[in-house]
Amino acid sequence: MSQIIIFGLHGLTYAGLLFLIASGLTIVFGMMRILNFAHASFYMLGAYLSYTLFLKTGHFWVCLIVSPALLFLIGVLVERVLIRKVHSLGLVYDLLLTFGLGYVLGEIVKWIWGTMPLSVKVEGFLAGSLTLLGITYPVYRLFILLVALGIGIGLALILFKTNLGIIIRASVDDSEMCNALGINIPLIFGGVFGFGVALAGFAGVMAGPLLTISTDMANMVLLDAFVVVIVGGLSSLGGAVLASLIIGQLQSFGALLIPEVSMVLIYVLMALVLIFKPSGLLGKKG
Amino acid sequence: MKQTFYYTAGGVVLLCLAPFIIGEVYLNLLIEIIIYSLYALSFNILLGYGGLLSFGHSVFLGVGAYVTGIILLRAPDFPFLAVILISGLGTLVLGLGLGSLLLKQTGPAFALLTLAFNGIFATIAIKWKSVTGGDDGICIFRPTINLGAILLDTTDVTVFYYLCLVLIGGLTFLLWRFTKTAMGHTVLLLRENEGRMPFLGYNPALARLILFTLSATVAGIAGSFYMLFFGTVAYNIIGVEMTAIALLMTFIGGVGMFFGPLLGAAFYTYVQNLLSGITNKWPFFMGIIFILMVLYQPKGLIGIFSGLVSRIGSLKRRTSQEPHSGGPIR
Repeated sequence: MSQIIIFGLHGLTYAGLLFLIASGLTIVFGMMRILNFAHASFYMLGAYLSYTLFLKTGHFWVCLIVSPALLFLIGVLVERVLIRKVHSLGLVYDLLLTFGLGYVLGEIVKWIWGTMPLSVKVEGFLAGSLTLLGITYPVYRLFILLVALGIGIGLALILFKTNLGIIIRASVDDSEMCNALGINIPLIFGGVFGFGVALAGFAGVMAGPLLTISTDMANMVLLDAFVVVIVGGLSSLGGAVLASLIIGQLQSFGALLIPEVSMVLIYVLMALVLIFKPSGLLGKKG
Repeated sequence: MKQTFYYTAGGVVLLCLAPFIIGEVYLNLLIEIIIYSLYALSFNILLGYGGLLSFGHSVFLGVGAYVTGIILLRAPDFPFLAVILISGLGTLVLGLGLGSLLLKQTGPAFALLTLAFNGIFATIAIKWKSVTGGDDGICIFRPTINLGAILLDTTDVTVFYYLCLVLIGGLTFLLWRFTKTAMGHTVLLLRENEGRMPFLGYNPALARLILFTLSATVAGIAGSFYMLFFGTVAYNIIGVEMTAIALLMTFIGGVGMFFGPLLGAAFYTYVQNLLSGITNKWPFFMGIIFILMVLYQPKGLIGIFSGLVSRIGSLKRRTSQEPHSGGPIR
């Protein structure tokens, strides 16, 4: 029984991490119609930056704030210098450009940090474990879960309850009209893209102590994140939550019950969703 | 048009004479280029002609290679041409099946799905050890060709080179002819204005499926040659890296231009060979070239080349004309 609970918690933790990664992807696609193929590479960059920051400062909290901030700046720069040039050419060009960007980022990471796996250790309270009802569980995993929950709620509040959220959603619906009303559309788009990239970096920092930091961490999570986005529906934040939860549990219990084919499970799920509801679980038609 | 003919004819003559001009090392490199050109070509018919961006193209290359490897592992004396044919047929069926499932989506959703299916096939290649050899992969030897009177020893580089040249060259020619047929023009409609197709009486879904299947078949044949040339295949042939190679070659050469990928494959393979001796950072530079091509020169090297030619021509004739249109991809 306790094993089932522990694996359920493992699934939830992974779901939390997946949501952190997929939310940035979903927001950028939902707001700007840009599918950021380099998203997982930014996630990796965030993790590597946190390693260096951790070496320099020795505090995990510093990494958690500074690394996403740096990635925000990088994201804004990328949007301004590269993406704005090709965005009018259509969706495929965005994909191609971000694909190339991800490729180059992967090489840069190898260049700077080498190909050896690195690790970041959390300190103090987070490094411990918690015992409740006879079940002992690492605090850090619970921390990921809480943070993901907090980010999810925060995103929903910003988008649907604040003035900024209204402006962003309006810019998506009719950018020309918003521009005419005196809203700085390029600024909004740059900000949204940078925010998405920062979320990826944040997920990378969070993943560091849980997984090892390695040059293939981008590729390992890329597919899972994309499957989350497909299953949930391409621009639905709620869909991303739901799909993360399902895929987290599938991965966790798949590894427990049928370890040989657990990797295939999520693809089977994806194929089923594709056949019966091509727009994703919570996605809108068209 | 006449110019293009002369260039092509000159290229073919040079390729035929290559074994007498260059050494064995460079002949091997040339074979690699020819095989990769076919692979990049199959990718370009999908992206450049049909406007479909697939991140799972390496699936067909991999399946073609695996089918060839598995057959030759079980029956080392299997006829050379039959192996290639069966690999092509295998990916044809696979392409038809996957195409009818995946082509429900277009644009980014299609790209994501192909990527995910790439994951499925990579997992199968790793996990199905009894057939694919798992992490170790498969090693084979090239079979000899028995033409009754003549025995062709394909382990000889020159013999294998001519085989590749004739077979892949022939296939390339057929594909080029295909782009000139009514069907080839229909496919261009997919890229240019799909919404109008039904009004003109065309069926976009069917055209897309045919194109996808054709591209899969050609990639499978390229995979078969890949296996015959390298003699070994492992699960990493099905992966983002191999798809990236097709993308890079296509874009460096010129997307949507029939001969673009050929030039791209030659450039990529040669520069990789050149740079990998000097620095292990060469993928970085390839990536930068790719980004620059996407940003500034979507017609690739062929665009630069024909731009120069037409500029020189216009200096002579004082008329400038666009030699060939690559068209935007959506």
